[in-house]
Amino acid sequence: MNAMERLAAAVAGTPADRIPVFCNLLDQGARELGMPLEQYYAKGENVAEGQLRMQQRYGHDNVWSLFYVGKEVELLGCRKILFAEDGPPNVADFVIRDYDDIVRLRIPDDISAEPAFAETAKCLAILRREVGGKVPICAYLTASMTMPALLMGMDRWMELVVAGPTDLRDLLLTKCSEFFRKQIAAYRAAGADVLLYSNPFGSTYFVGMKRFRELSLPWMERDLVDGVDGIVYYCGMAPFSNIVGDVIERLRLGAYYFAPDDDIASAKAIVAGRGLSCGVINDIRMLSWTEQEVGAEVARIIGAGKEGGKFLFGTGVMPFGIPEANIRALLETAFRLG
Amino acid sequence: MDILEILRDYQEAVFDTDGERALALIDQAYESGVSAEDIVFRIVIPTIEKMMAAINRDPDANLAQHFMTAQIAATATERMLSRFRQPPASQGTVVIGTAAGDLHSLGKRIVSGCLKSLMIEVIDAGVNVAPARFVEAAVEHGAQVIAISSMMVHTARGDNGCLGVRRLLQERGLEDRIRLVVGGAPYRFDGELYRTVQADAWAEDGITAGRVILDLIHEVERS
Repeated sequence: MNAMERLAAAVAGTPADRIPVFCNLLDQGARELGMPLEQYYAKGENVAEGQLRMQQRYGHDNVWSLFYVGKEVELLGCRKILFAEDGPPNVADFVIRDYDDIVRLRIPDDISAEPAFAETAKCLAILRREVGGKVPICAYLTASMTMPALLMGMDRWMELVVAGPTDLRDLLLTKCSEFFRKQIAAYRAAGADVLLYSNPFGSTYFVGMKRFRELSLPWMERDLVDGVDGIVYYCGMAPFSNIVGDVIERLRLGAYYFAPDDDIASAKAIVAGRGLSCGVINDIRMLSWTEQEVGAEVARIIGAGKEGGKFLFGTGVMPFGIPEANIRALLETAFRLG
Repeated sequence: MDILEILRDYQEAVFDTDGERALALIDQAYESGVSAEDIVFRIVIPTIEKMMAAINRDPDANLAQHFMTAQIAATATERMLSRFRQPPASQGTVVIGTAAGDLHSLGKRIVSGCLKSLMIEVIDAGVNVAPARFVEAAVEHGAQVIAISSMMVHTARGDNGCLGVRRLLQERGLEDRIRLVVGGAPYRFDGELYRTVQADAWAEDGITAGRVILDLIHEVERS
């Protein structure tokens, strides 16, 4: 059974050799290729090569076309990214500096024709050629409710969400939703199988229940109007099991990538077979845990979620500094118990 | 106007993140004869303190609420301070910024707003702040606390974050005079991380950070 078949079995709830295991190693690809992060992320060939080598070495069930969070805003005019030597880069140039920039913001007609998409397209083409149909190829897409945080900064977006002006807030959301729909079409056409729908503002940790229901949910419906095939709901490591019932009812997605703070057994009970539940480890603790502690936590999560099927074990965005031995302990335990 | 009535309405507005209504209530109270001192000490500060307690209990407490609570409190306090009969005594001084390599400013803004409403002087060092700049600003302004916000693991744990500031405090013999506090997402995912990076304390959210920092200021003053 290959990784794609394993994932399909988990989604369908049919028998498989083990549960799928998603291990999200991004920056580690640069180390694999022996180059600094900035150089690594400059070329789609590098990212594809890094992903393929790591998947071959560790045997987990996914590869990524994601370079770094923030790559998307390069398509909307961001010109400066602050790179680090030991972790993911930051957006250093906000596209929206004042409210007039919201009016001026232009959404490209065809994302796949944009020069800023070229390296991502190259990466996807290589991944599709090498492992297409055998290993799920993941893409990361930011929801309209969250994209403005990358365009103008989290605090200024929060201010606009909470205090208005609502006409500008809605104009920005309209543009971000249009961007999302065009972007997801480009990723689908380029061969991405698993589309991680990233929306921290789709959790009540960020906006509270009232705004979640009145604002986040309707905008998610608009984002996903063209179909939900391959979409995985994810709130950027914020817990969301308290609202997953609403999301299932309104959006009917196929998979839910919970947070480490979600009680996975309770979350899976709410999902109740209406989608794939993903149990996620707190990988920040993996920086300091021993191999035994990593194994014990993997065992706890799989023990809580595996029964009854329709379950996947996964990580967050694994920090660069996690020791190799802990990555191996995680995967060895997940493969054995899954 | 009855101050308890104003307090109740103001708290309701803050909990609803309705900044416009909260500030209108403050202005109306002042115009109807409630003193600026009473507005700050009997309305604004008790509301922040109530939020600190509620945030740990309320399952629907959220970042938007933290953010607006702090912004409303800071604005209300700033408006009233200029109307005090005598300038109020400062509770202390804090230098705040995000760690080197980190450009995420939401947490810093929440904490700053909360501190201002508690009469703590805030020196905003900005984002992407090098360790030396934190220490220089603290020495220049006589700050008792340096507060470092990190949203990313590598900026929290790296040598140019809290660890770098600690090293400089040690080298310059300033550890008795200046305490270090940290906050941000990586600390929430690892409650012991603040020890790893050699901070004196951490706060789980921006609102409770106000209490943690106030306690550290008092600790320095006692020592």
